[in-house]
Amino acid sequence: MELTFTLEELPAVAAKLLSNSKSKTFLFYGEMGAGKTTLIKEIAKNLGAAEALSSPTFSIVNEHVLDGEKLYHYDFYRLESLEEALDIGIEEYLYSGHWNFVEWPEKIEQLLPGESTRIELTKNDNGSRTLSIMPVK
Amino acid sequence: MHPINVPNSLKDQNIYILGIESSCDDTAASVINNGVVLSNVVATQKIHEAYGGVVPELASRAHQQNIVPVVHEALRQANIDKKAVSAIAFTQGPGLMGSLLVGASFSKSFAMGMGIPLLAVNHMQAHILAHFIKDEEQKAPGFPFIALTISGGHTQLVKVKNYFDMEIIGETLDDAVGEAFDKSAKILGLPYPGGPMMDKLAQQGDPSRFPFPKPKVGPLEFSFSGLKTAVLYFVEKETKANPNFVEENLNDICAGIQSTIVEYLMDKLKNAVKITGINEVAIGGGVSANSGIRTALREAEQSLGWKTYIPKFEYCTDNAAMIAMVGELKYRTQQFAETDVISMARMKF
Repeated sequence: MELTFTLEELPAVAAKLLSNSKSKTFLFYGEMGAGKTTLIKEIAKNLGAAEALSSPTFSIVNEHVLDGEKLYHYDFYRLESLEEALDIGIEEYLYSGHWNFVEWPEKIEQLLPGESTRIELTKNDNGSRTLSIMPVK
Repeated sequence: MHPINVPNSLKDQNIYILGIESSCDDTAASVINNGVVLSNVVATQKIHEAYGGVVPELASRAHQQNIVPVVHEALRQANIDKKAVSAIAFTQGPGLMGSLLVGASFSKSFAMGMGIPLLAVNHMQAHILAHFIKDEEQKAPGFPFIALTISGGHTQLVKVKNYFDMEIIGETLDDAVGEAFDKSAKILGLPYPGGPMMDKLAQQGDPSRFPFPKPKVGPLEFSFSGLKTAVLYFVEKETKANPNFVEENLNDICAGIQSTIVEYLMDKLKNAVKITGINEVAIGGGVSANSGIRTALREAEQSLGWKTYIPKFEYCTDNAAMIAMVGELKYRTQQFAETDVISMARMKF
């Protein structure tokens, strides 16, 4: 699946992603400024997150409570080694059965769950974004 | 509750609080005596070395390795025996659960073992109450005051009516201010985290050459993710025309970004002062070290009649002295925690 969209079309794109995904783990690949956090915020809103999601770049994992469930929002951007991820107990989060939204998953490729929806985001010259869902390995 | 000795008159008692901070990357311990910091230690590789090196097990957690050596070092530097500690304070949240649990478990065990009270501290409150540490290089604000906490992970405006009567009146909707500095620096090719480097270069640049737009959100809200994207677009566009654009204009670009961020923070503070009618303004968090925000605040004393407060740098970044300080304030008002108190990744005031 490939979609090109503007900021205004974001809510519809978020809804479509959710309804098409079999997995509760979403991996977001894309350069800084590609719109990963913005898209995740919209999906979280769609899932009923009570408050706006802020960036987890510093904290690495942010936890949000949904109705009876949890949503973990990860950003591995500043991670320097796999060991750092293990040190914060990342496997307990990733394999908890709750929703996972992962930015910079390439930094922890070896630890990622096999069953996941892999999304690549690219920024186009006119400011729109293109999203493609990559096949599961 | 475990057996503890709580004296009747706490107000004037000579007390020693051991503070433990482990909310994110650093493991830290501090001893405070009647508001005066006796030691303030952050775990470094050197501490590992002094105590026999790093444990080579892959899944071992950094905080677990650090906590005992850091506490030893804090007690040693304070020149007190652990038996002299009146109570132990730890960061209950917010933070990374795995990191918080190490500090909490250690503190609970220490409290039980020594038979002393346990004090649970909110990390964000501690950033604000760090102003009350007694130190020649800082002074305490008067109540009520407006606190702006700015760091790599937080951007928060708080109305502080009393030590433990605080209200968040504004927050970031996306990125934290420190992150805006670090990510903009990264786009310019500076090493991460690039905030301090950007500050240094900005001081030699002309802030008026490259202005960046300030995101429009509510009067007390912050948004920084658009600034990062604006810097990215700007650099991409200019580099197409001139591949050496960044190198040739680095100081001025840094000055443009920094002055945009500082003006934006000052705009929000002005709104907060106007809305609350409070003109005592205190900042905290690692970004308080930024020279631009310091200068702007000092100028506001003259031009706007504010009273401004900037803590000493070592009490701005994540540190255990601020945790111990809150611990002392809680001890004197008998706000003790039970040993079944739970760590919280997210935590309100």
